[in-house]
Amino acid sequence: MTIGIHVPILAIAVPLLGAFALPIFAKVHRNLRDLWAILVAAFTCAMVVALAVQVFTSGIQLYTLGAASPTATVVQGGFPIRIVLVVDGMSAFMGLITALVGLASLMYAFQFLKEEQGKTLAMTLFFLLWAGMLGMESTGDMFNFFVFLEVTSIAACALVGYRTWESRPPEAAFKTMAMYTVGGLLVLLAVGILYGEYGALNIAYLSSQISGTPLDKVALGLLLGGLLMKAGTVPAHMWAPDAYGEAPAQAAIVLVANTQASLYGLFRVLFTLYGGALSTPAVGWLVTALGTLTLLVAALMAVIQTDLGGLIAYGAVSQIGYMLLGGGVGLTVISSRPDFGLVAMKGGIFHMMNDAATVGLLFLAAGVVKRACGTKDLRALGGLGHDLKWTSGFFFLGALALAGIPPLNGFASKFLIYESSFRLSPILTAIAVLGSILLLAVFVRAFQGAFLGPRLRTVQPAPLGMLIAMGVLAAIILAFGLVPDFFVRHMVTPAAEALWRGRDLYLAAVLGD
Amino acid sequence: MIGNFPFAVCMILIALGLWTLLTRRNLIKLAIGITLIESGVNLFLVTLGYVRGGVAPIYTYAPPGARMVLPTPQALTLTSIVIGLATTALMLAFAVVIYRHRGTLDAGKIRELRG
Amino acid sequence: MRLVTGQGFWSPLVWLALAAGVALLAWAFWFRGRRTYKAGTDQDMPFLSGEQVPEGAHVGGQHLYWGFVEGLRPFVDRVQAFHTGFLGDYMTWLVVLLAVALLVVMLT
Repeated sequence: MTIGIHVPILAIAVPLLGAFALPIFAKVHRNLRDLWAILVAAFTCAMVVALAVQVFTSGIQLYTLGAASPTATVVQGGFPIRIVLVVDGMSAFMGLITALVGLASLMYAFQFLKEEQGKTLAMTLFFLLWAGMLGMESTGDMFNFFVFLEVTSIAACALVGYRTWESRPPEAAFKTMAMYTVGGLLVLLAVGILYGEYGALNIAYLSSQISGTPLDKVALGLLLGGLLMKAGTVPAHMWAPDAYGEAPAQAAIVLVANTQASLYGLFRVLFTLYGGALSTPAVGWLVTALGTLTLLVAALMAVIQTDLGGLIAYGAVSQIGYMLLGGGVGLTVISSRPDFGLVAMKGGIFHMMNDAATVGLLFLAAGVVKRACGTKDLRALGGLGHDLKWTSGFFFLGALALAGIPPLNGFASKFLIYESSFRLSPILTAIAVLGSILLLAVFVRAFQGAFLGPRLRTVQPAPLGMLIAMGVLAAIILAFGLVPDFFVRHMVTPAAEALWRGRDLYLAAVLGD
Repeated sequence: MIGNFPFAVCMILIALGLWTLLTRRNLIKLAIGITLIESGVNLFLVTLGYVRGGVAPIYTYAPPGARMVLPTPQALTLTSIVIGLATTALMLAFAVVIYRHRGTLDAGKIRELRG
Repeated sequence: MRLVTGQGFWSPLVWLALAAGVALLAWAFWFRGRRTYKAGTDQDMPFLSGEQVPEGAHVGGQHLYWGFVEGLRPFVDRVQAFHTGFLGDYMTWLVVLLAVALLVVMLT
């Protein structure tokens, strides 16, 4: 019995164990806690990479919890009754994003967090959030998805607000918790409706049974409402600037990855769960329109922000609009399957990875600024480039990548989205380019205001651990920008194909046993 | 005989919870509104499992050949209740901290983060 | 090495080669320029719209790109009016989104 077949469950179970054992080790000695954290993180990343390699070489990986063998999904009645982890190309890709963001966050947190300000607490919550995200991305069961969704909600809101000695984080955490809970309950209501209709919770079985009855449509509407809210879609996006702006920097990047995991959930529902029942392009047009609206509104709001954290947060919300635009264009044309639909899917999914690296790098650089100056207000900052040389370089790189300047990775994915959305409607491309231009202006303004100019005060440069974490993300930005085709062909295309054409393979893998 | 009445009650509970969230300004009342929605959804889940004339789904207790109500929704509801406990506890904790900083529980006055 | 879309392709290495060529051209222009200037006189100081400013003048982040922001002011003000910071408004917008999603799904 090799470890290779248990990789899907180990990727979720190990960080969960790590989260609960971390405070015990911290009570013994601080260095033991740090060593435990490094071990758990390294093992989790190894599991996720091994899983991704397995999926990209041999196809969908299954793991049935509690069965005699991991691939025994269907019992004698012809019905999957256990929780099945189904990892296809899209899940593996999201797992890679989650692992990368988690690794960068942990490397950064070692020297960013102070002991007396709840370092053990923050690390525990981080591992819990990591385990929840990896679970959300690998599961093939709707109620299990809801449970991991709530786990990530609780951990994320606790990470936003645990610094209770200031007055703004708890306010942001309360608002975020209220929104997340209502969204999660909408999802649970939809799962309940689907269970009441078909008596099953397994995504593959439900997908084969769902037809277009009115109750199915109600469930789809509820799922859309809940998951679009969690993904930060305008008009239900207002929790996002509060949460991202007030969370500590190492938590803000994991929150961005959490939002993308909810977006993954939305795509799984739209393409796999309801893939056989959506007969009109109306839902696709809804997602496309909401994506375009998100793009524009968030970019406009970013123009007037004076808080560096809020500025980057609105940039992150705007990038979610690009991903929704890519996925929406693909969903709109899925019945006739023209080529540009797959290109749109590839653009949207590639943009998830690029956005995680880019916005992550920006948040980490803003964290360095906050740590050095004690404030993130643009009105009080200036001339930091004299002392924080590497940090200003990283911020500049991240700003260019976010705005989609060639030859960086933001341009590669936005190019795919522009070209494919133009084929659907030129207005979408015009608004998308306008959003990019607005964000470029915003970030040039922020960079010049904070980092250029005469030196206002002397600050300490960032410690090496934080610079290495930022360097990892910057290396990803450069690598994905200079050789995009390699990554698109080997990582993004399997993920896009798994949603575009892969529903039959998904069903056959789980039910056809 | 009862028909769809239990489902209607659940929907009314959820609607009441949503209405509380939309019209009330006290943070504790907002937490209560969310608890109302949770209760409505949990009641909906339990009601789904009802089988007409069914007995409790305990193997050793039921008479042989009897129909049992579905046990899966009961497991789902237990999980959901525990999750609801955690979220309500977290929200109330944050409400206490906000009160300590601001001296008010009025959501209309706690608007330092805006724009 | 090329990212292929349906209608064209993007090759960052070709772009880098062209950018290097343009940079070379710019350097050639700079190389052919005059290198003499009088240090310490007005030729050295930054020009801030003709005003005499002391050493170390700092333009704060909120003043940069003023014209750009003022030009967008009508749109930005209307969008900012919606972002009140009040939790009840957040919930209202969530209900609006849910209603729109349900309408779109049920009526098609």
